[in-house]
Amino acid sequence: MRDARSTQLLFELSQAGRRATTFPTCDVPERLLDELMPVAARADAPPPLPELAEPDIVRHYTNLSTLNMSVDTHFYPLGSCTMKYNPKRNEQLAALPGLAQVHPYQPAATVQGLLGVLHDLGEMLAEIAGLDAVSLQPAAGAQGELTALLMAAAYFRDRGEERTTVLVPDSAHGTNPATATMAGFRAVTLGSTPQGWVDLDDLAAKLDDRVAVLMITNPNTLGLFDPQIVEIAERVHARGGLVYLDGANMNAILGITRPGDMGADMMHFNPHKTFSGPHGGGGPGAGPIAVREHLEPYLPTPVIRWHEGRYDLVNDRPKSIGRVRSFMGNVGVLVRAYAYIRTHGAEGLRNVSENAVLNANYLLSRVKHILPVPHGDRCMHEFVASASKLKSDRGLTAMDVAKRLLDYGYHAPTTYFPLVVREALMIEPTETESKETLDGFAAALFRITDEPAELVHEASHSTSISRPDEVRAARKPVMRWRDESAAEE
Amino acid sequence: MAYLLNTHEDQQAMLEAIGAASIDELFASIPKELRLQGQLDLPPALTELELAAHLKERADQNASAVNATCFLGGGSYDHFIPAVVDAIASRGEFFTSYTPYQPEASQGNLQALFEYQTLITQLTGMDVANASHYDGATAAAEAVIMALAATGRKGRVLTAGSVHPEYRQVVATYLEHLDAELETLDTPSGALDAKALAGTIDRDTACVLVQHPNFFGCLEDVEALTAAAHDVGALMILVFDPLSLGLLKRPGDLGVDIAVAEGQSLGNAMAYGGPYLGILACRESLVRKMPGRLAGETVDRRGNRCFVLTLQTREQHIRREKATSNICTNQGLLALRAAIYLALVGPQGLREVATLCVQKTAYAAQRITAAARFTRAFDRPVFKEFVVRDRDGRVSELIQESASQGVLAGVPLAGWFDDLSDCFLVAVTEKRTRDEIDGLAKCLASANTEVSTTHA
Amino acid sequence: MKPEDLLYATTHEWVHVAADESGGKVATVGISAFAVESLTDLVFIELPEVGRQVKAGESFGEIESVKAVSDVYSPVDGEVIEVNEVLRDDLERLSQDPYEAGWVAKIRMSDEAALAELMDHTAYQKQCADEAH
Repeated sequence: MRDARSTQLLFELSQAGRRATTFPTCDVPERLLDELMPVAARADAPPPLPELAEPDIVRHYTNLSTLNMSVDTHFYPLGSCTMKYNPKRNEQLAALPGLAQVHPYQPAATVQGLLGVLHDLGEMLAEIAGLDAVSLQPAAGAQGELTALLMAAAYFRDRGEERTTVLVPDSAHGTNPATATMAGFRAVTLGSTPQGWVDLDDLAAKLDDRVAVLMITNPNTLGLFDPQIVEIAERVHARGGLVYLDGANMNAILGITRPGDMGADMMHFNPHKTFSGPHGGGGPGAGPIAVREHLEPYLPTPVIRWHEGRYDLVNDRPKSIGRVRSFMGNVGVLVRAYAYIRTHGAEGLRNVSENAVLNANYLLSRVKHILPVPHGDRCMHEFVASASKLKSDRGLTAMDVAKRLLDYGYHAPTTYFPLVVREALMIEPTETESKETLDGFAAALFRITDEPAELVHEASHSTSISRPDEVRAARKPVMRWRDESAAEE
Repeated sequence: MAYLLNTHEDQQAMLEAIGAASIDELFASIPKELRLQGQLDLPPALTELELAAHLKERADQNASAVNATCFLGGGSYDHFIPAVVDAIASRGEFFTSYTPYQPEASQGNLQALFEYQTLITQLTGMDVANASHYDGATAAAEAVIMALAATGRKGRVLTAGSVHPEYRQVVATYLEHLDAELETLDTPSGALDAKALAGTIDRDTACVLVQHPNFFGCLEDVEALTAAAHDVGALMILVFDPLSLGLLKRPGDLGVDIAVAEGQSLGNAMAYGGPYLGILACRESLVRKMPGRLAGETVDRRGNRCFVLTLQTREQHIRREKATSNICTNQGLLALRAAIYLALVGPQGLREVATLCVQKTAYAAQRITAAARFTRAFDRPVFKEFVVRDRDGRVSELIQESASQGVLAGVPLAGWFDDLSDCFLVAVTEKRTRDEIDGLAKCLASANTEVSTTHA
Repeated sequence: MKPEDLLYATTHEWVHVAADESGGKVATVGISAFAVESLTDLVFIELPEVGRQVKAGESFGEIESVKAVSDVYSPVDGEVIEVNEVLRDDLERLSQDPYEAGWVAKIRMSDEAALAELMDHTAYQKQCADEAH
């Protein structure tokens, strides 16, 4: 049934002379181009883009789209990514001209409605965080981390304290240590206990007056809530350090507990996960941060202020770290987050987390006898199972299981992360899935473990391609199409 | 319970299978003293009908490019977006999928990224492009960090004062705690003087950051500036305007080492500043220092062409604290939109849109400066923006008064440039009609006339 | 070179020391067969720059597989005087002939003290057996 042309590239479909979009003829008196733009600066010909007609383009991309799994079409339990349903109403509302066709340098008086949405979103995020002040500017979770660490650096410099290290648990997402380096700190890894918590002895050994920040993900990447969090935060604070909470896993604790109450001084949200901004094939995300009052002066500029009956943007903030991106932030994503939170209210958000945790525990209980979960029988919103036993018994790896799941119509879990679990399969069902879907997924896993090993090694069988040769891709990288028929260059 | 599926019966059956008495028990690992007593203090939940009314009310309080005429620029523009862009990008298979970690289930996204990368190399004349950054400003900052790594120089980073001030601020923020000093070279004439650059650049300089057309809309002498950078072994990073390449020479043809851009103008909404699209392209020799995701071509086990994420060892999830960038998400959906846009306009459309921008901008400049009160701040060729000086120095009143008449007339420069505090930046895209431009000129000429005569 | 005659660092580099014409000591450094095998599917090597001064234990190169990256550490103190350029285009040499054609760099030693920290083949084999476990 697949259109054979669907996997041809735009460039291979191109035919000289075809057109799609044309622009109106010029309605102002035209001047000689040479008067307006020096010949030396101009190219002889426009760039060699493909030449296509509109129906070509629509069919090409529509066919391409069918080669993707997505939340709209498939169960997508990709751990740590919170692939929940993306409400259609939010798409429609975010596209309202008064929200989408607004220029970032419009006078504040002409964007009072939008500034109100953003201001209120900030207040709601602060409440959910249990913290005092918010910046909506960071463009992604990783940039939220960077923003917070730059603020920590500015804070300690202000206080005349020389602090050079950032502590990061070994189960952390790779962005945490990479961020520490970008912010000029040295990342020091903290070990975990067999239960998957931070090793307090290791913390004691590595915590000194040089530690600026401890970055912690709680619930952590194993899907566990570390109950030592208060003690950890107290110890860090006692040595003058700050605690940063990576909010990647907020979907587990909305309205149940708050990072500020745990002792965190700073955190980021991932609205594209927790508040259901669509993931867009890899982005855009957003990474708003919330901080305690004493860190507020260091937030990026501008900040939105409600003052004398109107919203305005405040740029004059002498202690601010400056800007981390252009303009206000990923407003389109933030508007969707606002719509999501307003749709749920306090009780609704709590229901989200309760059902996310219920679904994860239910799935865990269904699969643990074939895919053991090394860190216990209970989890928060996700769990990390291990295919180690399958590997030693039957030679099946986490990768094999992941690929075979695709044949059953399920997107694969996250594989080989976190690094502290061998043959890891990180499974996050989210709250927007039914018991029947979870039962179907568990049944597929059972069947896979009984199937002939060769069949599973060769999976996937029903997808548009079989396993790609990643070694070849990395050894001699081909990162663009080249016209082999013409002697280009 | 807007998007939940579990009925009460489902929940009971699931709890039984788990062996838990209640949902509350599943949260037992969270210490009692941390459990929130009572509810979060949030506004009440809204049904779809109520939410739509509420957001429409707030949207209606804003001026937009639909109910006002937008002459604002400075990195975000009211360009035309063909319907196909929204129609394709709103397909759930694209916008509700994620990073293609499973290539077998993501060939649509991977091929679209590979095509995007190719389109950007065709557009720019550079060897290789990555799968995108957050926006133009962060792409510029990451390019500078890339240049520091590639040259091994821990000294100076030079930037023209004619680069977007917010981009320079972002570069400064990113460099704050790294071994590099950002120095801004003044551009009082509206563009960077190649001799001035040659006079200060030295072998400690890792790179030079230039924008062309620059923040003021003016063209820079990129070839001369690049030669000055290369003379001392520094890299040239160029911020370009994608649509300008319908007419201007491409960064790759100008000898640039890293080319970055804001891709908003390629089919993406202004959306009050984001999400946007950071374009980054470079020479082949720099690819291993390039941050961000990359799609690459390979074959599957049956020998068929297919696409994967490649060179992942550059990235944070593998390199961790040794990574030079922490970037994780890209702007996949916006890259897709940009690719669709470029496919739709093609080479001829790109030339048409660029030409319209140039002609309409020139017309607007001529019309506005027909009033004695206004002059051009810089007498240089421009692409789609120009700086207007108000001899009366009453820019903020002018902007406010125009806005009240439904004309978003320009961006005041006072907050960024002390010597341009009486100036504003006007942008004219292909969407602006002759009537709208005439309306702008009239609106500006008639504003504050009484005050202006007293100061003449 | 026979693996039995070489010295090894705990980080899996091998070392062979010989005198050059002027009587100085030159260490040829490579990566052990055990390490190459455990990295699997190598795709890229970053070699040090000739002329670079290195200290024992300092990372002076990187070797990448599809989904992992490992440092290559200098086992001795000295100056890099030659690197095996052929590896850039033919990484297979590392796995096919790790102790001859797959050498990585030659270092003119400034000090021999670091040699005392290295293992002989028997000790290194024991380390590998422990790691493989």
